[in-house]
Amino acid sequence: MKRIVWFLLPLALFLGLTIFLFQGLYSDPRERESEALAKTFPTFQLPDLMDETITYNNDIFAEQVTLINVWGVWCTTCAIELPYLEDLKDQGYRVVGLYYDQDLDPDFGTKTIQRVRSEVLTTLSKYGDPYAFNIFDVYRDTSLDLGVTGAPETFLVDKEGVIRVHHLGDINDRVWRNKFVPVLTEMGELIHKNTDEVGS
Amino acid sequence: MKISTFKRFSVLFAAFYCLALCFPASAQEDSGNNTASSTGVSHVKDYDENYAFEDPKDRKTFLELTAVLRCPMCQNQNIADSDAMIAHDMRRKVYNLLKEGNSKQDVIDFMKERYGDFVYYQPPVTPVTVWLWALPVIFAFVMMGVFIYRRKTEVPQQDIAAKLDAADKLLKDE
Repeated sequence: MKRIVWFLLPLALFLGLTIFLFQGLYSDPRERESEALAKTFPTFQLPDLMDETITYNNDIFAEQVTLINVWGVWCTTCAIELPYLEDLKDQGYRVVGLYYDQDLDPDFGTKTIQRVRSEVLTTLSKYGDPYAFNIFDVYRDTSLDLGVTGAPETFLVDKEGVIRVHHLGDINDRVWRNKFVPVLTEMGELIHKNTDEVGS
Repeated sequence: MKISTFKRFSVLFAAFYCLALCFPASAQEDSGNNTASSTGVSHVKDYDENYAFEDPKDRKTFLELTAVLRCPMCQNQNIADSDAMIAHDMRRKVYNLLKEGNSKQDVIDFMKERYGDFVYYQPPVTPVTVWLWALPVIFAFVMMGVFIYRRKTEVPQQDIAAKLDAADKLLKDE
């Protein structure tokens, strides 16, 4: 009896360790719980990307459920998701860009705002423009407050200004159906696709 | 005789191991300071140019903080080491927060609120993470128990002596 125990004990330990390490192979180290979820969108006061005389603040959420898409022209994945976002806009969702630039260091700027604007216009005309408007996160403060680690990231904000979904990475059909649609349904804000669009 | 001395050493070793584990916080603190000073050397020039402090104490806090805050983008680097944009922004934020008169803990809390416990190299003690400290201690105690149990049920010395004699005899016979 004792012998069997001494034989099985190391085997059990070994198997336990193996299973523990094996599942580690398939875990995504980048997967983290979002801290922004269920919190109110951080207070901000930022200019429009195209016209600095227009200023936005948290009042923009009052009218309609909003998708805040953090992006930049330097980000390739952002360009890839533009057509999909444009499709969402066509369905009736409101997509607002939170733009931040990589080469524009607020303290040691190397790029002019005119150049940023022309780059943005080029990108949007090339891949599609889903945005109702773009908020320019000049100092990237709001991105930091949101816990953004890199573009693209998308937030679903309800009319009370509370963040309901925080998604890291691009939005595609799969992500939309699995992550956004259930929450939108729960909120009663899901917009059904036009029937003729389904037919085509 | 020799065997029991070895066992005594093992028990002693296990006891020391336990003691060492009982103070993980202080050990961590030390290593944190070391990192701060070692990274400080290579970055002093950059920081002098971009992040100037009037009080050298604030500067020390800044170097310590950038060493213990983890970059969320490039996960195995602290924000002092990383060149990712988010690390740049976080360094600037740490600088501004310190300038505004926030304490070290305020800055850590600010970052934790946005990026979670992940952002700070010292893990908090929660029901999940407590095992990091508890398991080695439990292991050491179990092993100590095993040693003590086995010493009690040890074969009497004389028996071994007799066996050795028998072995010697066998060798001589050959």
